[in-house]
Amino acid sequence: MELRKYITKRIIQIIIIFFVILTVLFLLFRLAPGDPVSMMVDPDMTQEDAEMLIVQLGLEQPLGMQYLIYLKNFFTGHFGFSFHYGDPVVDIIWDRLPNTVLLFTTSIILSALVGVFLGKIASWHKGKKVDSIMTIGALVTHTVFLPWLALILIWIFAYKFGWFPINGMISEEVWLDPEAGFISRALDVMYHMVLPLSTLFLIHFGAYLLIMRSSMLETLKEDYILTARAKGLEEKVIRDHHAAPNAALPVVTSVGLSLAFSINGGALTETVFTWPGIGRELVSSVSQNDYPLAQACFLMIAGVVLISNLVVDVLYAYLDPRIRY
Amino acid sequence: MVSKQNENSMGPERHPWVSSFLEGWSIFRQNLLGKIGLTLLVMFALMALCSYIPPWISPIYDPMTGVDPDITSCSGPCLRHWLGTDFMGRDILSQLLAGARIAFMVGISAAVMSIVLGVSIGMTAGYMGRFIDTLLMRLADMIMVMPTLLVVLLLSAVFGQLNIWTIVLIIALFRWPGVSRIIRGQTLSLKQRPFIEAAKVAGASHFRIIFIHIMPNVLPLAFLFMTFRVTSAIITEAALAFLGFGDPGTVSWGMMLQWVWKTGHMFQAPYWLLPPGICISLITLSFYMLGRAMDEVLDPRLRKEDQTD
Repeated sequence: MELRKYITKRIIQIIIIFFVILTVLFLLFRLAPGDPVSMMVDPDMTQEDAEMLIVQLGLEQPLGMQYLIYLKNFFTGHFGFSFHYGDPVVDIIWDRLPNTVLLFTTSIILSALVGVFLGKIASWHKGKKVDSIMTIGALVTHTVFLPWLALILIWIFAYKFGWFPINGMISEEVWLDPEAGFISRALDVMYHMVLPLSTLFLIHFGAYLLIMRSSMLETLKEDYILTARAKGLEEKVIRDHHAAPNAALPVVTSVGLSLAFSINGGALTETVFTWPGIGRELVSSVSQNDYPLAQACFLMIAGVVLISNLVVDVLYAYLDPRIRY
Repeated sequence: MVSKQNENSMGPERHPWVSSFLEGWSIFRQNLLGKIGLTLLVMFALMALCSYIPPWISPIYDPMTGVDPDITSCSGPCLRHWLGTDFMGRDILSQLLAGARIAFMVGISAAVMSIVLGVSIGMTAGYMGRFIDTLLMRLADMIMVMPTLLVVLLLSAVFGQLNIWTIVLIIALFRWPGVSRIIRGQTLSLKQRPFIEAAKVAGASHFRIIFIHIMPNVLPLAFLFMTFRVTSAIITEAALAFLGFGDPGTVSWGMMLQWVWKTGHMFQAPYWLLPPGICISLITLSFYMLGRAMDEVLDPRLRKEDQTD
């Protein structure tokens, strides 16, 4: 019951935050220097099409009315038309969103799991060689400049050795082949995902490893660990069943806190690997002055961050019953 | 720093801040990571200082406009250009040195601004409590979930090309919430101490209590956060420049990487691809190590707060 109340509260908070972002974006694009029409209507459109779009977006109305129309359009899925593609923005978004979510969630889950596992081992061998190697390795990979790491990985593994594709998410010959089943297509996507995923993984797991390590060291000083030792439990049982689950809680918190940071990295990775996701679409729409698409991409990314935040919070509350407030 | 320490330890009387600095310094000196970080930073500072030398020797070494009359395309290291030249024949070494200057400028100014903001807001929220506290902290929550890089991107879509100081300002405006939360927590506990009560009884204004009585007690914590803010500002600026939205009038390391990438030289010219990336990564690493070392000096229990984002 308590948990449900907590979740409801978080959902309401997130909806409010999303509304504020929506409003700020509206004001930003309407009050920016220059004409709002030039921001939302493609300069290459025919006169009639442009006028229809102006009416649909309510650009000739006063600001308050424009805001209401903007909200209505948002909830009915009318984001206008992309200048660059000429397609409705909403179609582009739905096309790109799953790709981003796939890369983003896989990388976060993988790096958190590996970080927790390695952090546990590092803390268990505190002060020994394994520990120093892991700590230094984590520090180094965590602070490497992400786009550069991506370029280096492409250079070594895609260009020199030719093990992986240089860019993209699918190979055309597999996807145009009507014979190809679901499995071969999934394998093809996975094959393309290896390098982008490794980039994000290498950048993120270090932070989780370091947090897990220090949290585990704190936990090992607790009284219940002493009790477990006094009972004569095996060291491995103490480590894996008594210390690790509690020590992993700060990792969950830090996953939540670093989500915004991770999505920055996601956008950079997508851009370097030309992974057809929302982050890359945002970057290219900004450089092409494709305002409707840029606005919608940013909203979607904010939505992804907020929802993942909610998931992390719920997970935390589920894992740690002390935290329900 | 060493000479300063010797000088101070000679004198019979010490200011309390000096003695606490010396105490911290002696703990810091035992910390290997901290020492490595500090050494690297001194090296980068020297690089930044040296950035004035090449353009002074000859205009062909100017990082932005210098063009060697004999070289018009990307070429490898030689005696005249130790690290080679880029696609327009500009010297890579002098670009690298200029990049160090930009990195320090961006990192430190953005960090100082965000710390000043974070400390003021955190202290105000913690001290005033009630409505102001709720309002400021909700605002902090909101800004905290915003990906800074993408926010700057979006703003450059709306306002066009941003210059370097605008970028610094935006980074600072979006990176204060983490600091202000910690400072708020600290202020909440300080508020209960008798000396604040005493100041109140003596008739001190809220402003005076916050800035004269509370601030000195939270500043060490704020300094710790500064190192982490420096790294995040440097990374954000570099990433922005890498994506092609940096200030076109500056030569930063991110900009250099963008030129390698966009002109398609990344597979042909490792002497051009490697140095800027190594520099960004190393400066980040050294600030990070310095931060962790200071963390241990100030308070070993703080270790959980040390992620860069």
